Order: sequence, then structure tokens, then C-alpha cells
Amino acid sequence: MTAASPRSPPSLQRRVLALVLGAVALVWLASGLFTWFDARHELDELLDSHLAQAAALLVAQQVRAVGETEDDDEDHRRIDAPSLHRYAPRVTFQVWHEGRLALRSSNAPTTAMTPPGRRFKPGFHTVALGDATWRVFAAEGAEHDVQVYVGERIEARLSILRAVLRSTLWPVAAALPLLALAIWWAVSQGLSPLRQLGRALAARDPRALEPVAIGGAPVEMRPALDALNALFGRIGELMESERRFTADAAHELRTPLAAIRAQAQVALGEADIDARRHALRATLEGCDRAARLIEQLLMLSRLEATQQLALQPVELAALARQVSAALAPAAQQKMQQVELDAPLPCTVNGDEALLAVLVRNLLDNAIRYSPRDARIELCLRREADVVMLGIEDSGPGMLEADIGRIGQRFFRVLGHDAPGSGLGWSIVRRIAATHGATLQVGRSARLGGLSVQVRLPAVDTPSGAEVR
Amino acid sequence: MRILLAEDDPLLGDGLRAGLRQLGFQVDWVRDGAAAERELRAEPYAAAVLDLGLPRQDGLDVLAAIRRAGVTVPVLVLTARDAVPDRIRGLDHGADDYVVKPVDLHELAARLRALVRRSHGQPAERLEVRGLVLDSTTRKVQLDGAPIALSTREFDLLHVLMLHAGRVLTREQIEQRLYSWGEEVESNTVEVHVHYLRRKLGTARIRTVRGVGYQLVDDDSPA
Repeated sequence: MTAASPRSPPSLQRRVLALVLGAVALVWLASGLFTWFDARHELDELLDSHLAQAAALLVAQQVRAVGETEDDDEDHRRIDAPSLHRYAPRVTFQVWHEGRLALRSSNAPTTAMTPPGRRFKPGFHTVALGDATWRVFAAEGAEHDVQVYVGERIEARLSILRAVLRSTLWPVAAALPLLALAIWWAVSQGLSPLRQLGRALAARDPRALEPVAIGGAPVEMRPALDALNALFGRIGELMESERRFTADAAHELRTPLAAIRAQAQVALGEADIDARRHALRATLEGCDRAARLIEQLLMLSRLEATQQLALQPVELAALARQVSAALAPAAQQKMQQVELDAPLPCTVNGDEALLAVLVRNLLDNAIRYSPRDARIELCLRREADVVMLGIEDSGPGMLEADIGRIGQRFFRVLGHDAPGSGLGWSIVRRIAATHGATLQVGRSARLGGLSVQVRLPAVDTPSGAEVR
Repeated sequence: MRILLAEDDPLLGDGLRAGLRQLGFQVDWVRDGAAAERELRAEPYAAAVLDLGLPRQDGLDVLAAIRRAGVTVPVLVLTARDAVPDRIRGLDHGADDYVVKPVDLHELAARLRALVRRSHGQPAERLEVRGLVLDSTTRKVQLDGAPIALSTREFDLLHVLMLHAGRVLTREQIEQRLYSWGEEVESNTVEVHVHYLRRKLGTARIRTVRGVGYQLVDDDSPA
């Protein structure tokens, strides 16, 4: 069954063929064995009964003969019976009368046909006489004066058995190669849908993602085929979303690029020094924007490639302080007031760098989209088993309809002067999702602008308990 | 030539406005679709540059709306979407030209000039009325083969008059075509420039229709 050379892959056809042929051979052998034992049993019964019958006849005949020739002396006794048939050497007999050999077949020995060293005992024995083994039946008359042995060569029985076995086994043995050919053909017919699938897959354009259709695919192949087609479907969706993302990203980069080009051309053609400086500053701003966009795209693509995060305890209050400090200059430029209210350390499980990106994006959004002199408040609270990070501002906020759409790539709330791609929200959403956090966006009751609440699963730490 | 620029991106809008101004256009800049539609329906722009991804109202909707309202101003669509179906959709919605960002300012200006020219039934950059030749690309004017030096304003005024040669334009119509928003227009500015033009071109070429406006004379009929 493992006849395949180590190089060639296992073949289903060879495997099925070997299994079927092996099973046939086993059944064949079993039926041979059964025939052998059954035939031997029946043969033994029949031939033994013949032996017993013959012995009984001889006993009966001898008792009468002894009675009739009571006076005969030993010389008159015909102890050698004539050989009557060419098969006669296969059977033998002895008749003993009062310890003397009264009659025997020509091939019988002159000593009693008992097993060596044993006395007479009625019944069947297996005795070696000369170079042959005999089945012997011993019987005696009612007065124990006549003993009769009738024997038959065991060899004769075996040859009958062999003949029986030959006649049952030979036809099947002869048919076996034919059977192998038939099975080979049947198996190859049965496996044709598999080969068809193989051909269909091989002939496909490697980039093709439409479902594989095999006309009349058997039930056994359905699960594999369905799984394959589902896989094609998933890959197709993935590639489509990748393609859309790339296209969107490329388009999104065109606007800052167009701005840079236009401003640079203006600077080139401008004679007025102030106007030229303005255009050059705008060119630089455009470069910064394009760089920021690229950074966000890279961040997003890295995030989307991330399956599992190495989570570790992160102290969110300290993190929020760092981020607020880093963004303070941007807020000060717009005369905005940023406040952080985080009285207690709040530890969550997470990736510190990603959580920093999340807080920075939220705060950056608030600064970017709030007008001058706006108030921006960050707060960090422990709520049962979650940590709530809230960011509220006194900016324009968002319409209900817009809130539903934020986080879609490249969606940005319209009517803002502040440049943005909407990617920041995608990043925030993605980071929140990888941390098992919930994101809630609404209108700030206190400040009137946007309110964003992120709820992260809290980690109980000794420091938290101490403070309480 | 007064054009409307509808672009929501502040940096790009600022750059395009400055650049087109350098190239001799008067530019009004709006940042959303609703404003674009309002202005295009109200003002006699020579052409419009329209971004498609506009806030409040999509650029294509603006196009469809003004075309339905019978506004025939030539519109150049400026967009980041360059797929062929996008272009086809833009043109089918009534755009006259379709340019993908980023665009060269000079090319944008040339395309705008071509649009304006075509909308006035002029096949070439050169306008010619009775020996007076105006080239809108080089901004040069010749009278019977001799170059005439004109100021920017004089050139623009002459351009407007030549585009509408033979028709009488009111002072308001001329001002609307010459000045963008926020530009100080003194009450007698048009008269002053007409005066200078007459001095350079001869008094017979620009006729005053008393109480109505001005007309560039395109035939030899007596006044």
C-alpha cells in the first residue's frame, strides 16, 4: 500500500485500488480457510464413518468365520486378503483373533496397528506405519477375542482436501488480475470529478477569484468546494477593500499635492515679497499635510496588519498627561485652553504606543476642529470595571448624521477649514477595537461641542487600591 | 476675466486663487457646493473651476442644478478622481472640461481661456475687430499691425468689450465681469479706463450709449 516511491505524492487512485484489492484478497483467503476447515471436517466425518463401517463388517465377519473354522490350523488361514483395486494401497486392515493375526491386507504390517508402545484401544488413532501416516480405527468383538484395525492413509485425505481447495480458490486467483483492472477503471471513473476540479483550478487565472463551478460535483466534494469558494470570496473582499483603500489613499494625496504645486507655482511667479512668502509658507504647510496623511495611512495599514497585541498594564493618566503636554503648543497657538482631570491613576491593559496614538488623535481632533479660545477638557474616571477617557470641547460639535459616519475612511465633516482626511477617526476606531474598548461620540452637555468617551477594561492594581 | 473657484481645501483654494490672479483672472473663491450654486446662478462668470468633493452639496449636484437652471457658464471640473467612469459622469453632468489634480497653473489658465473662447464662439486665442487684434494668451494688443501698450485693467476691459463686440454692455455688466469680490470699484473706474482706451485706440472704436453703457463698434456704421 505504501508502494509509492518517496518522491511521488500518494495517489488516491493507487490507495483505493490497493485497499480494495487487499480487502478482496483477505476475503478470498478467509473463504479458502473456511472451505479448508469445513471440507476437512465433512471429509473426516464421512471417511471415518466408512472406516468404522468397514471395521464393524470385518468384526462381524471374523466372528462368524472363527466360529465356522474352529478346527482349522494355522496353516490354512488365509491371512493375506487380495488387492482388489488400484487405490487399495491407500487403505489397509488387520484382523486379530486371540492375539494372532488372522487376516490382513497386503499392505498391512504384521504387528498390531496401534500407536507405538500402546496396547489395543478401540476408536480412532493416528499411527505412523513405515513412511506414511495412517488414520486407524480399532474395533473388537463382543467377547474381546477378535480385534480389527482398519486404516487409511492420511495423505489420501489431504489430497482430497487440496483438490477441493484448488477448485474453489483457483477461479478467483485467475480472476484477480482482471478484478484489479476493473477496480482500477472503476476508481478512476469515480475520481474523475476530483481530476476535473484539479484541471479547473490549474486552468484558472491565478488572480481569478470567482467561485469554482464543477458541473454535478458529488456530495463528498461539496464541503471542500464550498470552503474553497468561500475562501475565494473572502480573499476577493479583502483585495477589493485593499484596492479601494489604495485608490482612496492615492486620491486623498492628490489634493495636498495639488496645493503644494499651485502654491509653489504662485511663489515662483510672484514679484511681491509678502505674497511670495505667503505662498512659500503655504507650500510648506502642504508638505506637512501630505506627510501627516502618509503617516496616518501607514499607521492605519500597520494597525490593519496587526492581529494580536502584546498587552501590558499601561497607566493611562500619565499617558494622557504626556500627550496633553506634547499638544499644548498647538492649542496655545489657537488660544485654546486644555485641561486634564485625572485624579487617580487608571491602569488598563494595552499597547502603550497605540494608546498614545489614540489619545493624541482625539485631542488633536479637538484642537484642530475647535475655534480660537475654545475649551478642551480631558478627564479620566474609573467606572466599575472600566476606565473612561472623555474628551469634550466647546467647538462646533457634529450633526447626528455625521456622527454616524465618522470613522469611515476619508469621511470628514464638511465645512471645516481645518485640513484633515478623516483617517484619524479610522485610526482611533481601530485602536479602540484592538483593545476591546467602546467608543461613544455625542454632544458635550457642559461645553456644547463634541464629546468622545472611550471605555477601556480596567486592570485592578495595588496602587489604585491604595489611593482609595 | 472673472471666474468662480469652488474648492473646499483651504491650501489648494488659496494657491489656485493666487495663481490664477497672477495669470490675469479675477477669482472669486467659494468653499462649498451651496455657495457655488448660488454664485453661479447670480453672477455672470466667464468660467468656473469646480471641485467635485465639495461640502454641503456635491460638485456634480451643483453642475446638474445650474445646468437645469439654464446657466451656460463653462465649467472646468477639478478633481482627484481620475477613473474613466468618473470623467464620463462629470462630463455628462454638464462639465466642459475635466482636469485631475494636481494641475499646472498655466495649463489650468489655458484651459479656462479655451473654455471662455469657445463659449463665445471664438475658435482662437485671437480676437479681431476691424484691425484691432487681441491675443488673450500673450495679453498683447495690436492696432493695424502696431503694438499697443495697455495696463492690466485696460486690457481686461478691452477683452470684455471685444468678446461682446457690437453689443451694448452696461457699466454694471462690465464691472461684474472685471472685478472679483472685495475689490474696490470706484464709481467712475469704468469711465476712466474707457477714456484711456479711447486715447490709445481712437475715439470711434468705443461708442457711449448715453444712459445705458458702452459698445465696441464692429462695423462701419456711423454713430
